[in-house]
Amino acid sequence: MSNDVHQPQEILALPAPVPPTTEEAQTVTEPAPRKRRRSAPASGTLGRAIVITSGKGGVGKTTVTANLGAALADSGKRVVVVDADVGLRNLDVVMGLENRVRLHSLDVIEERCELDEALVRDRVRRSLMLLPAAQNRDKDEIEPEDMIDLIDELRDTFDIVLIDCPAGIEQGFRNAVVGAQEAIVVTTPEVSAVRDADRVAGLLPNDMPARLIINRVRPQLVKKGTMMSVDDVLEILRLDLVGVIPDDKEVIVATNRGNPVIDMTGSPTGQALRRIASRLLGEDVPIPDLTERKDWFSGVLSKLNFSRSRAAKG
Amino acid sequence: MSTLRQAACGSLRLSYSCYSASCTVCPQSIRRRVHKGKRGGPQRRQQRRPVQIKGTKSGLLLHLHERPLTPIVSKLRERLATLPNFYRGGRAVLMLGDQALDAADLEGIIATLEEFGIGADGAVCDAEEVAVAARAAGLHIVAASVAAAPRVRDDRTEPAHVRRAAHEQGEAAAREAARSGNGSAVPRTASSSASAQHCYYKGNLRSGQSLSAFGSIVVMGDVNAGAELIATGDIVVWGTLRGVAHAGAEGDDRAAVYALRLEPTQLRISRSIASAPSEGNVARHPAVPEVARIVEGKITIAAAVPGRDKVRSR
Amino acid sequence: MKGNIFVVTSGKGGVGKTTTTANLGVALARLGKQVALVDADIGLRNLDLVLGLEKRIVYDVVDLAEGRCQPRQALIKDKRLPGLFLMPAAQTKDKESVSESQMARVVHTLGADFDAVLIDCPAGIEHGFRNAVAGADEAIVVTMPEVSAIRDADRVIGMLGTRRARLVVNRVRPDMVRTGDMLSVDDVAQILSREVLGVVPDDEEIIDTTNRGQPVSLDPSRRLSAIYFTMARRLLGENIPALELQDDGLWNRLRRIVVGQR
Repeated sequence: MSNDVHQPQEILALPAPVPPTTEEAQTVTEPAPRKRRRSAPASGTLGRAIVITSGKGGVGKTTVTANLGAALADSGKRVVVVDADVGLRNLDVVMGLENRVRLHSLDVIEERCELDEALVRDRVRRSLMLLPAAQNRDKDEIEPEDMIDLIDELRDTFDIVLIDCPAGIEQGFRNAVVGAQEAIVVTTPEVSAVRDADRVAGLLPNDMPARLIINRVRPQLVKKGTMMSVDDVLEILRLDLVGVIPDDKEVIVATNRGNPVIDMTGSPTGQALRRIASRLLGEDVPIPDLTERKDWFSGVLSKLNFSRSRAAKG
Repeated sequence: MSTLRQAACGSLRLSYSCYSASCTVCPQSIRRRVHKGKRGGPQRRQQRRPVQIKGTKSGLLLHLHERPLTPIVSKLRERLATLPNFYRGGRAVLMLGDQALDAADLEGIIATLEEFGIGADGAVCDAEEVAVAARAAGLHIVAASVAAAPRVRDDRTEPAHVRRAAHEQGEAAAREAARSGNGSAVPRTASSSASAQHCYYKGNLRSGQSLSAFGSIVVMGDVNAGAELIATGDIVVWGTLRGVAHAGAEGDDRAAVYALRLEPTQLRISRSIASAPSEGNVARHPAVPEVARIVEGKITIAAAVPGRDKVRSR
Repeated sequence: MKGNIFVVTSGKGGVGKTTTTANLGVALARLGKQVALVDADIGLRNLDLVLGLEKRIVYDVVDLAEGRCQPRQALIKDKRLPGLFLMPAAQTKDKESVSESQMARVVHTLGADFDAVLIDCPAGIEHGFRNAVAGADEAIVVTMPEVSAIRDADRVIGMLGTRRARLVVNRVRPDMVRTGDMLSVDDVAQILSREVLGVVPDDEEIIDTTNRGQPVSLDPSRRLSAIYFTMARRLLGENIPALELQDDGLWNRLRRIVVGQR
């Protein structure tokens, strides 16, 4: 197959400009401002904008963003999740909304549509919305001021704005951070991930409160000594811990299907995500020590599940 | 917004960098414009400006690799004449490369710098004959890593209030200079002075952050892996040192590195380099505060507890 | 030598670019080649960690690009293998510290002196990605059977121009493929319409070896070694037919074949 398959296609064609008449040419008019300007702020408190970042890719930012959004929506909050990964958007896929994406954040910024036209409502939760990223554009086409305006406008309407940050520390990262007031750093208990999380934590503005989620913890490996413990990670990162999420191979099945992990019954991963949502809302939920789980029990349980599902499939 | 401030150019700034596309004060936005290709990118910039001047935390770096050096002297004067007071009061290190140069040219460069109020402090030489010429011209030889101290933009390692004060000072001065056109503006490298400049830093250094000084460095906190400290004098870490520390960077064999917990990725004292003995990535965990020094030509670690004389050699 | 500079990229982060670069490099070196591994992830360097060479870094690729050192000063020779060298990234800088042409120049210089050059690309498609791709002749696109990863790989393939791109499919779980809970390698290859260089099963050994700085292909007795060896040989031009990932019995047979031939 040729490379043509991968050429980006313009979805919306801009109308051709009308040339001015001689009279019009006399008057010099100010070009219309490219950036959106906020209307007068609505009354009431502004929502919280939280950026979910990591430095290292693949540690679970997008999954965490989608699921925290769902869990917070379940608590009665109006939540919007923003995909800041222009060019490599994935939040829509993880939420199972990829077929419903028509417009994206650059359409809003470049004033081809209104903000609420670009928002996609979740299939299940009415108070959860998604602002998708463009797939065929680049991150440096958005300027930080654009993001600030956009996030501010979202904060007017929503209680919580979750910003899914791209991997890395380049312009995409800076754009994602610039509109937020709080940060959640996601890492896994591996040296590379912790190192990158450290780098990112150092790049966040000093006055931005940053908290930590340790994802993909495998208590058996921690006990064996081949994986860093929660304390090992905290010793280096020194951030407030907002949650520890155990690893679960079933998660990939859920994300492949666009289903929230928190809806998987009996999933310890889902439960951990719900606890994190509660903590974000200020509830004092203690973080359980995952290494205390009885390994033989969970081992038996997983074997039961496996044989049950095999029987079901015949 | 509490996190944004008004900059001299009228743009909104975060506490650590400016995002206005038109700001001429902030190096961050200038670099962005250049890298966006609007001015042809770094390649063309190099052609237009054969004399590269880079600002670092402790002074200016002049890249003078081109030969012959004679035309560079006048190009340097031209360049400095466009902003005659911008660098006044700063110190400069000359990167002279490895190709032989004419002593008269070197003196010409030093004299030109003097004219604009810049003191030539040292030279980085990659060949002995170049070093001979540099010494003859009155420069002292500086190790490459000190010269390669982070750029002014990398000033996030300073405590926030110090950084903001310096910024405000710099902005006020820039505004002054712009208004008067000929006033004595405080250059970006305002903190540099003629004599040693010890650095006392309260806080942790994260991966990717860098602290350097013409003098000694004291860190009241941890230095994570991926961070680096470079000092012409001693280094004291009142915490855990996991990163890279280079003491005596200008060639002082008597410099030392102290830490409450010495677990460095690498230690450098003067021209010697040593890495902690370990397998792969497993680190050492010393029980007492330790000091690293050069003893009989090798970097040696000893307990830094007075009275106890345990010496472990490399 | 024709086209010997490979960029290992993916788009999506965390699918195993760095691990693949390290292990392929080790495998090539064990096959007697002179290999240079280049870490292009400036500011978020990890290749040195995965190789266990972090403590020996003095100069890095930014130093070289800015003329502060010679190429051989920036190359770290791995003491475990005669032909393996690493050029580390800088940690205290960012990706705008080097330009595409600087990277291309660095990488071409290496290409003239080494049998193979593997460039570890950062995640994403920003400046860092463009830098990493700048000097490369061919690409190795690492992905896994997961929707986001495939989508990002697709985007990246579209940005590689006319370069040849081959796939490495990581984290494959044959049991999940069988139950229909995971895409098969053929599905992935078909969606991305590129040939497959290698398939690596999901294995917790990878995490362990990564953390300890000992790439798994250093040890020929590990089953994953055989896979990287096959990949290395394909990279060098050998035509080795693909095998279905099945159960352990086949692994032992494969290992015996590869080990026996050396």
